[in-house]
Amino acid sequence: MLMPRKVKHRKVQRGRLTGQAKGGTTVTFGEYGIQALEPGWITARQIEAARIAMTRHVRRGGKVWIRVFPDKPVTAKPAETRMGSGKGNPEFWVAVVKPGRIMFELGGVGEALGRAALERAIQKLPIKARVVARAHQEEVEVQ
Amino acid sequence: MAEITLVAEPGRTTGSAASRRLRAAGRVPGVVYGHGVRAASVSVDGRELRHALSGEAGLNQLLSLEVGGDTHLAIARSLQRHPVRQTVLHVDFQIVSRDEIISADVPLTMVGEAKEVEREKGLVEMVLTTLAVKATPANIPAHVEVDVSAMNIGGSIKVGDLTLPSGVTTEVSPDEVVAVAEVSRAALEFEAEEEAAAGAAAAEAEAALGEAPRAQTPGGGSGTTPAPTRAEEG
Repeated sequence: MLMPRKVKHRKVQRGRLTGQAKGGTTVTFGEYGIQALEPGWITARQIEAARIAMTRHVRRGGKVWIRVFPDKPVTAKPAETRMGSGKGNPEFWVAVVKPGRIMFELGGVGEALGRAALERAIQKLPIKARVVARAHQEEVEVQ
Repeated sequence: MAEITLVAEPGRTTGSAASRRLRAAGRVPGVVYGHGVRAASVSVDGRELRHALSGEAGLNQLLSLEVGGDTHLAIARSLQRHPVRQTVLHVDFQIVSRDEIISADVPLTMVGEAKEVEREKGLVEMVLTTLAVKATPANIPAHVEVDVSAMNIGGSIKVGDLTLPSGVTTEVSPDEVVAVAEVSRAALEFEAEEEAAAGAAAAEAEAALGEAPRAQTPGGGSGTTPAPTRAEEG
């Protein structure tokens, strides 16, 4: 699973999930991608599950790019512990995702197979997301 | 390349609220600059803009931009888009001259089938998807073709290998890689998983065969039932 090799601070504050993604909003490496439509925390396990789902679906051929990295530690207190006595222990890692962010990309496969694989990967994620194609993002859409 | 006429209305009110109102009314706020012309805030009709930039030349389409009675030759230099809806929020028009060499990003399109790569179960990855070229506005190509039919696993196509149309040059290094043919890590992982699964199944089958004679001996007890079933499944 993805996690940082070393960190400056073991525990961090939760932060706020406001606004939209500032960068990483276009399919850059592959031909298709998964774009977040909601803000959320994606855990390293969910990223790995999504990766495995799409890799197994495309079988051979195809290349996967993971464009989010779980660099935020999340702490939890043990069960049945009284409140107080400081912050809990780091339990898992999450990637902070905002709407518009391309989280995964897939290349080297046909459109039908690529979209089906990414739809499977979306099922492993805790937020609403959609499949986007590089070919369509150059289109000039207006309100 | 034929020009498309686009009417831009000058003197729009700037600011986020006014721009939002413009967008709601079906217009796209923008700016016109270049060639010593004082930068002007304009707005264009959304449908007309979409029509103008949806041709073969895409964003490099030459435009005949009418701004308050003046007509300028221009190209859409950049588009700002909404991160989720992908709608155009703002457009930059750069005034150009017919005989001036300008730079533009041209899409690279893959042509041909890399049969050798397919046979080896690899894939061709486009490392560069656009190429920055220099040419006069009329000579900017709609796309540059990258022929991958002669590629082998481990091989690559570089910028120096591309055939550019006459009058078109690039300042990108000739050693810059455009496309590579490789076997992806995902494919290798999948094969390793398949091999491991096949190995496990074979080991299970062997174990089941080893247990089977013991199961037939009298007084074998509870070990009789699962062994044959597992062997069949494997």
